[in-house]
Amino acid sequence: MRKARADEYAEFAAARAGHLYRSACLLTAGDTHLAEDLVQEALGRIYVRWSRISLVGNPAAYAQTVLVRVFLTHQRRRSSRERATDVLPEVAAAGVDTPLRLTLLDALARLPAKDRAVVVLRYWEDRSIEETAGVLNASAAAVRTRCTRALKQLRGLLGEDIGAYARP
Amino acid sequence: MFADQHEDPFEERLAAALHETGGGFDTDRTALAARGEARGRRTRFVRRAAVAGGTAGVVLACVGGVLVLRPGGTATEAVPSSATASAKPKPSVTATHATDEQMIETLKHLLPKGDFSEERGQGTESADDRKVPAPSAGLVFDDGDGAAAIGVAVGRVQPGGTEARQAAQCPDRVFVPYDACKTSRLADGSVVTVLQGYEYPDRRVDTKLWSAELVTPTGQHITVSEWNAAAEKDKPVTRTDPPLDPAQLTRLAAAKEWRAVANALPAPLPEPELPGSDLHARTDLLALLPKGLKVTDKSSDEGDYAYAVVDDGKGRSMVQVNVQPDMLDAADDLFGSSSETLPDGTRVAVSQGPGDRGDQVMWTVDTMRADGRRVVISAFNAGTQNEPATRETPALTIAQMRKMALDARWWSGS
Repeated sequence: MRKARADEYAEFAAARAGHLYRSACLLTAGDTHLAEDLVQEALGRIYVRWSRISLVGNPAAYAQTVLVRVFLTHQRRRSSRERATDVLPEVAAAGVDTPLRLTLLDALARLPAKDRAVVVLRYWEDRSIEETAGVLNASAAAVRTRCTRALKQLRGLLGEDIGAYARP
Repeated sequence: MFADQHEDPFEERLAAALHETGGGFDTDRTALAARGEARGRRTRFVRRAAVAGGTAGVVLACVGGVLVLRPGGTATEAVPSSATASAKPKPSVTATHATDEQMIETLKHLLPKGDFSEERGQGTESADDRKVPAPSAGLVFDDGDGAAAIGVAVGRVQPGGTEARQAAQCPDRVFVPYDACKTSRLADGSVVTVLQGYEYPDRRVDTKLWSAELVTPTGQHITVSEWNAAAEKDKPVTRTDPPLDPAQLTRLAAAKEWRAVANALPAPLPEPELPGSDLHARTDLLALLPKGLKVTDKSSDEGDYAYAVVDDGKGRSMVQVNVQPDMLDAADDLFGSSSETLPDGTRVAVSQGPGDRGDQVMWTVDTMRADGRRVVISAFNAGTQNEPATRETPALTIAQMRKMALDARWWSGS
């Protein structure tokens, strides 16, 4: 990698690491150790391909895609069948554990990995159905199905008035 | 049906809760970024090492400043380059290490007559052991009609991998505006995409960037770029268009000289598996389509989703399929009281409703086996979900879609 490109990468990684980490924490439902590992893996892959990635219009969005795919690959390796985690991850005590945080992470942990990815992309990343479909290499119809299913499940777990947990 | 953008108050609250929760996580970002870079460097190092070990039977021969890798040859055997050419070695075993200067000379040799300046080259030897070399050459070329920057980069990608597929696709105009883009297959099986676009996607400066991206069946990857200015950025436009037309760009990218340079590079690592990649929805969809339909377009990726645009002579019709293992938990949402259950427990639901646009219709046959394996096929009376109807009904009948969806072929590879 030329020095200019290497500097460009370093700048990019420093700027995006925080956001990628927060996304990863939601994807892993609060497993901060796994989240760190996923971000490192994603940044590593981006490093290897930086000369090409830096040419695409939106490297930040690309990085997010890599992260989600790294997460899904990890989930798949762990279990050949997609299903909600039976054993909830240990939520590391990083930051303040508000009731909202604990309840939300617990609810996220109960979703199948791909549904959780849909929720994170749609409501944390604010991606459209079509963009989410692109990240997941799925059809818009499949994303809609997953989204509807995940919302229904989250509504059941969190209650309609999820905001009651939020800090004033 | 769930509306697209957070129209449900619950969705608003969920988004707010995610932001509050997600925003509460923090870590040492600098350290995390550094560890990510370290992992990337290690990956590159491993690639190099893997190649060094994997090509132990290949020896180096020096030919008038050009190194040729020949399998089973004797070390330091000098072979004139003409002899190498007449021996017609397989492209996959001819590898030419190139110096910075040789990269530049090769580019100049392949360009039409003109003046050259601001030459820069990067050979196949990396100054830094930890880094994979990225051979390239660039210069400013003036054929008399205005100075223009031209660059070529040579690399390797996993044949059939994501990068190879992406290189063989025109980008979505939604993301990258361009004037023209064409992907074609050359006689040797290489795929080349010629893109006539702009340096800045937002067109804040009208510098044109034309490029040809070529991937060979063995993964040699050559990108040629040219601008209608003497530099990519921060130089005024000197001419209406870049100097090489699409045909010339293609020829330059396809030149055999670059293939040999690519072969001198370490092979890329196989790409990690994407979930669902043990399925082959596109192949199965194309195989199961009723006879007599012309396929005018199809999805580029294998996996759990595929589409094909078919035409029976009465207009284009898009057919898409999702193949999803383990969807049992969604069964009750998908198969209502009007659905049918076959003797083997497979459930089938049929819907015929309006599509996303105007007079579009969308017919869907949804099937789920007793173990949760779902195949859902939809057909439209339009070529894409975003364009107006091209015909009254889809090109497939419900009976045909049903037969396809229930076929065992979808699951034969998983």
